[in-house]
Amino acid sequence: MDISFALTGKGYVILASDTTAARSIVKMKVDEDKIKVLSPHLLMAYSGEPGDTVQFAEYIERNIRLYQIRNTYALRPPSAASWIRRTLADSLRSRKPYAVNLLIGGYDTSTHQPHLYWVDYLGTMSEVPFAAHGYGAYFALSLLDREDGLMSGSSYHDPEAPLEEGLKTLRRCLDEVAKRLVVTPEKYKVKVVDKDGVREIEI
Amino acid sequence: MARRYDSRTTIFSPEGRLYQIEYAMEAISHAGSVLGVLSKDGVVLAAEKKVTGKLLDMSGSKEGGYGGSGEKIFLLNSNVVAGVAGITADANSLVNYARQAAQRHLYMYNEDIPVELLAQRLCDLKQGYTQYGGLRPFGVSLLYAGYDPHYQFQLYHSDPSGNYSGWKATCIGANNGTATSLLKQEYKEDISVEDAIELVLRTMSKTMDSTTLGSEKLEFATLTLDANKQPKAKIYKPAEIDALLQKHGLAKKDEDTDMASA
Amino acid sequence: MSIMEYNGGSVIAMVGKECVAIASDLRLGNQALGISSNFQKIFQMTDRIFLGLPGLATDVTTLKETFRFRVNMYTIKEERELEPETFAHMVSSALYERRFGPYFIEPVMCGLQKTHDGSYKPFIAATDLIGCLNFAKDFVVAGTASSKLFGVAEGLWEPDLEPEDLFETCAQTLLNAVDRDAYSGWGAEVYVLTKDKVIKRTLKGRMD
Repeated sequence: MDISFALTGKGYVILASDTTAARSIVKMKVDEDKIKVLSPHLLMAYSGEPGDTVQFAEYIERNIRLYQIRNTYALRPPSAASWIRRTLADSLRSRKPYAVNLLIGGYDTSTHQPHLYWVDYLGTMSEVPFAAHGYGAYFALSLLDREDGLMSGSSYHDPEAPLEEGLKTLRRCLDEVAKRLVVTPEKYKVKVVDKDGVREIEI
Repeated sequence: MARRYDSRTTIFSPEGRLYQIEYAMEAISHAGSVLGVLSKDGVVLAAEKKVTGKLLDMSGSKEGGYGGSGEKIFLLNSNVVAGVAGITADANSLVNYARQAAQRHLYMYNEDIPVELLAQRLCDLKQGYTQYGGLRPFGVSLLYAGYDPHYQFQLYHSDPSGNYSGWKATCIGANNGTATSLLKQEYKEDISVEDAIELVLRTMSKTMDSTTLGSEKLEFATLTLDANKQPKAKIYKPAEIDALLQKHGLAKKDEDTDMASA
Repeated sequence: MSIMEYNGGSVIAMVGKECVAIASDLRLGNQALGISSNFQKIFQMTDRIFLGLPGLATDVTTLKETFRFRVNMYTIKEERELEPETFAHMVSSALYERRFGPYFIEPVMCGLQKTHDGSYKPFIAATDLIGCLNFAKDFVVAGTASSKLFGVAEGLWEPDLEPEDLFETCAQTLLNAVDRDAYSGWGAEVYVLTKDKVIKRTLKGRMD
């Protein structure tokens, strides 16, 4: 089962996704990158039905790129997310719907705001401060929900936290999953998007 | 000789010209002029109405439909107003096309259409009529005054050939040469929207054929940002235009009305 | 599991004296798991029409965008504002178009209808997921807490409430009904529409 997390902070969005590609009970690959870079300031983590995922992600990737070539500038994160959601919602009522869940993180260079969207295979979309898909959601969301101040100086989620602190919060989520989930992924790929664009971070 | 290449829109003349397109542009240079000025905090449009008569029933346009559209200035989308010069019937068809294109973009991407993209959509249509045979090109030039988060305030011009270009200040229609040279002299890089309004009105009053400015000859619109930083188009109502002219000392002189009544 | 209860959420609309109110919760869930506490289900369609869309969340967004498109096209082509009653029929026919593969939404709408003498008359309506219209005179409810909303509203609502009293009645009805429903809650928002203004208030409520 795929696990992905994402959270926002002061001027950035972090996305993390496990790197296993599995068929049934067998791990086929342990270094699969499941976060696509859609444009200079836009990331998309995808999970779900094997086959659908890559096919859908590449379709989105190429269409977002096409828009950028035609219009010289890329779609802003809210518009890109809305278009991706519509694609999934239309697909849902087609003969063979894509079964793909997404986390879309981006930095809007015209308003200087980070945006994170939780999207599921039905085309449900919500802008959120933090999000997760897969079994990790059951552990991480409750962890991230906890308000700061109950333990002073602790780094539960804070939308105004600097990157260092955001990564520490992410680390807590990964540790919690490692501790409590029966089948734990061994490796995660982590990507960040902020005003300087997209980059990968070792964790 | 030239007539052999006139009848079709899509055939080059031996000198490599498309006569029908040039005729369309010629038609526009006789139309009532439209003037636009871009400033750092807004865009201003003004248009000259040519045909006015006391018997024309204007009660329908007083109420104002979608964004209070008049004869020459239209709201294309919540972030774009356009002024048209040329054949009004053609313009109505283009305005309708533009509004639909803007709504389709809103539906697809959940954002107001970027101004340049809207200009491109119309130009794609207009260009088609220079290439596909049997049809007449649109006899319309447009000025688009718009706002989007990519490039903030913008002013574009498009012509019947499907060309478009961005401007700081420009004029289309009758006397556009005089108006553009006046604008070239007067335009300042960091002009405010208030000064732009004055510049537009002053240039308009100098280039229009009639001696007096009034709401029966003039349409006027501005595009600015509201308190929530959202674009806000304002198409002036006749009474507001007269008040504006009064404020800038360009309204009809009192003695004129006295003379008329005498 | 019913698909109507997959994401959770509830909406209520009420008639007052020369005003109307509409309120909803803000929860978005995946069955029992909460995803967002800021998922809006009420949308302003024109200056005088509000639409609430409880049901499957993907269709909430799809229908919101569809109706925005249709209302705008109507306004452009007709060159006048859409009336609430006309809008209700627009909603109804849009849903019935999908009679045999419906949107899983039960819309609730409210507005102020222009009368012949130029004054405004409160208007509320709701439909089922295939567009069967219900023009009620007092209140309409829909969503996972609809059975509870009926009960509380039946007890609290009275005719000719002034805007502030209508707000209180509508807010208390919603808040108390969603507390008895596991799939609704996580904050609420209330809109009161009068002839010259819109009052919007976001409420905290029980956040558990």
